[in-house]
Amino acid sequence: MTQVTRSSRWRVWHRWLSLIFGVQMVLWAISGAYMVFFDLDYIHGDHLVQEITQPVAPEVDIHSIDEVLAAYPHTQNITFETLWYQGQQQAVYKLSGHNGEQLLNASTLMPIALSAEDIEALAVRYYALDDPKVESVVYMTENPPTELNPALLPIWQVNFDDFGSTSLYLSENTGEMLVKRHTFWRGFDIFWMIHIMDYEDRVDIESWWLQAFIIGTFILMITGAVLLVYTISFKRKSSGGAA
Amino acid sequence: MMRFMQWLHRWVSLILIIQVLLWIVSAAAFSLMGHHAMSGHQYMRHVHPQMLSEEAPQWTLDEVRRSFPEADSIVLSSVLGYPQYQVKKGTEWSYVDGHTGAAWQTDAQLAQAVAAASYEGPGVIVDVEAIERSDEVIKWQGPGYRVDFADDLNTRVYIDAASGQVVDHRNTQWVIADWAFKLHFMDYSGERSFNHLLIWSAGLFALWFSLSGLILLVRNVAQGDFNPRRKPTWLEQLQRDEKPIASSCGGGGTCGLCKVTFDNAQQPAPTAAERVILSEAELASGLRLACQHKVQASDKVELANGDVASHTLNLQRKRDLTPSIAELTFSSSQPLTYRAGQFLQFKIPHENAVLERHYSFATAPTDDGLLTFTVRHMPAPRSGVPAGIGSGFLCRLKAGDQVEAIGPFGDFVLTEAQERQQVFIGGGAGIAPLRALLQAEKQAESPRPCKFFYGARNGSELCYVDEFAADEQVDYVPVLSESVSEDWNGRTGFVHAVAAEWLRSQDLSNLDVYVCGPPAMLKATMDMLAELGVPRNQIKFDDFGI
Repeated sequence: MTQVTRSSRWRVWHRWLSLIFGVQMVLWAISGAYMVFFDLDYIHGDHLVQEITQPVAPEVDIHSIDEVLAAYPHTQNITFETLWYQGQQQAVYKLSGHNGEQLLNASTLMPIALSAEDIEALAVRYYALDDPKVESVVYMTENPPTELNPALLPIWQVNFDDFGSTSLYLSENTGEMLVKRHTFWRGFDIFWMIHIMDYEDRVDIESWWLQAFIIGTFILMITGAVLLVYTISFKRKSSGGAA
Repeated sequence: MMRFMQWLHRWVSLILIIQVLLWIVSAAAFSLMGHHAMSGHQYMRHVHPQMLSEEAPQWTLDEVRRSFPEADSIVLSSVLGYPQYQVKKGTEWSYVDGHTGAAWQTDAQLAQAVAAASYEGPGVIVDVEAIERSDEVIKWQGPGYRVDFADDLNTRVYIDAASGQVVDHRNTQWVIADWAFKLHFMDYSGERSFNHLLIWSAGLFALWFSLSGLILLVRNVAQGDFNPRRKPTWLEQLQRDEKPIASSCGGGGTCGLCKVTFDNAQQPAPTAAERVILSEAELASGLRLACQHKVQASDKVELANGDVASHTLNLQRKRDLTPSIAELTFSSSQPLTYRAGQFLQFKIPHENAVLERHYSFATAPTDDGLLTFTVRHMPAPRSGVPAGIGSGFLCRLKAGDQVEAIGPFGDFVLTEAQERQQVFIGGGAGIAPLRALLQAEKQAESPRPCKFFYGARNGSELCYVDEFAADEQVDYVPVLSESVSEDWNGRTGFVHAVAAEWLRSQDLSNLDVYVCGPPAMLKATMDMLAELGVPRNQIKFDDFGI
């Protein structure tokens, strides 16, 4: 009569499956732990920036909306607020429509083109940490870093010399801060990539190899659970002597 | 260290296995559905707002500024072509009718129109309901409308009353995905937060779990366990040679049954597993676990216990002691020498494999060589769950049937040369080794005084009650825990409590205690003995396998 026990068969399966799927299991645990332990607001960089709009003073004279629409009839959305440029807080109209976004001086209806200095000044005002040190201001038109959605190009990248190597991305048309990135976001992105096993675009969660690993790990866990039942309930007869 | 890893891996996995399975199942749901199906936006249309110039607001921006002098930002937008001002102050938004300057109003009709404009599926609107808020859009404060569409996904669109804007689309697949998120993030509030205490703990456990597994795997690779041409362990070799060697854990180094003696000039270094299971003296004498060492040509290995052998047992007779416990008496193909309190490992054929079950001898060794066991028949706990495999097999045996067994094993034997009071505490099927021990004690040259506490649920479960009641050498105390009939004049309650009561009046340093019974009773008794202060080296127990 063969003496190969059931538990050793399960153990062989458990070992071979862990050889194939075990490393990914560890990677899932490490990447999952990173994502869980760092607060999502912190990862998003909410602590790095602040609101910069201010109420428009009541005495500021502005052109009416009718005049704006007469000059720019293809407008779907108008925002009236203040913006810091050319060294002062000024009332502006921000238009959006089929042709993209457009910034106007609300008092003169003159289009505003933001310079590198304007962008840097805005970025410094957005920046919420003490002692902003701007390292570089880059106008990007192509080859965006992986942390930036290419659809947002062209865009201004303002890099700070700080603990998290903060980068703020500001719209070239409106000066609005669209994206904020720092070291822990970049770490999160890498762990997310590892977690979903899409090593290129970091978005595809439907790949066949991810599904294969999910199924394989499921079987690995089942063999482990069976082994657990064997090893915990088929325990040895304890020696009756001293512990 | 490795032993600790194995322990850690096993116990953490016991706690974690359910959550890990939930993680895997929910991950499978995510992966099969994909981002788009999970979003609830299958039938959502991207709405292009009308040109503001088509219907310019009659209420001017300056009038809005006067009503909201503190506004950080004022947005002119349109709701289905009708102008609307959106005023932001801090984090608060206000919505103003672009023609009248009054607070924006959304009625059911507008809500329906806004919902329809955002929808491009095959369904039609079947219901519009005013709601205060919804658990499906947890961050939305409400009030607003829920607009139901009759389509294959049960799409519903939520409209915010204050702004007249679409809050979000929801449908059946979204609900499935939402449950997957709840399971994956362990957040059942619906907020899909994965930064909270529960998942931090699970995350830590998962890290320990997978890393300890990885370390064990590296050890296995280093040991050559994955090499198909590696040398077998001595356990595998002895099993192949059909030698009488037992193992419950299948070579994991945890059960301690596969003891062998190495008689080499140089004995193999003991592994961590062996250091835990074997004593220093045993290790020094060459005792090892066969599963821990590979076969070397120079090895001289003998089975540790010369008495251990394979036996073919032949059922002679069977009788029911109680409704649930049967007594089986076997003859053996060859003489079997054992000590009272020991057990045999029975080979139970089941499907294509052989299961192992341990049964203790229920008598001291007898002159006629017959071997008696008591088997508690484990009924199915409920329909659909199989009854005990081992006990079921044994209870179905008929006189003349054969079964294979290996043994004897076990150290649950009488103490020697101690003139102490002998105390036996047992319950249920734990009677077998205790009865054997009691018989052996009575056969001794100068039997020590014996006290026997035996617990059962009710009178009909008391095994061998007449035998013990008539025994003058044993002070027998049966204890019933439930269903006490009127004619019962013995003790009631839990057996460990009754024993504790008696032990309090005894000299605890002058007694030996033997315990055997079901897990709960065993644990309660061991706790009780520890609490009373009975020295640990005077207690022997047998965790009667269930």
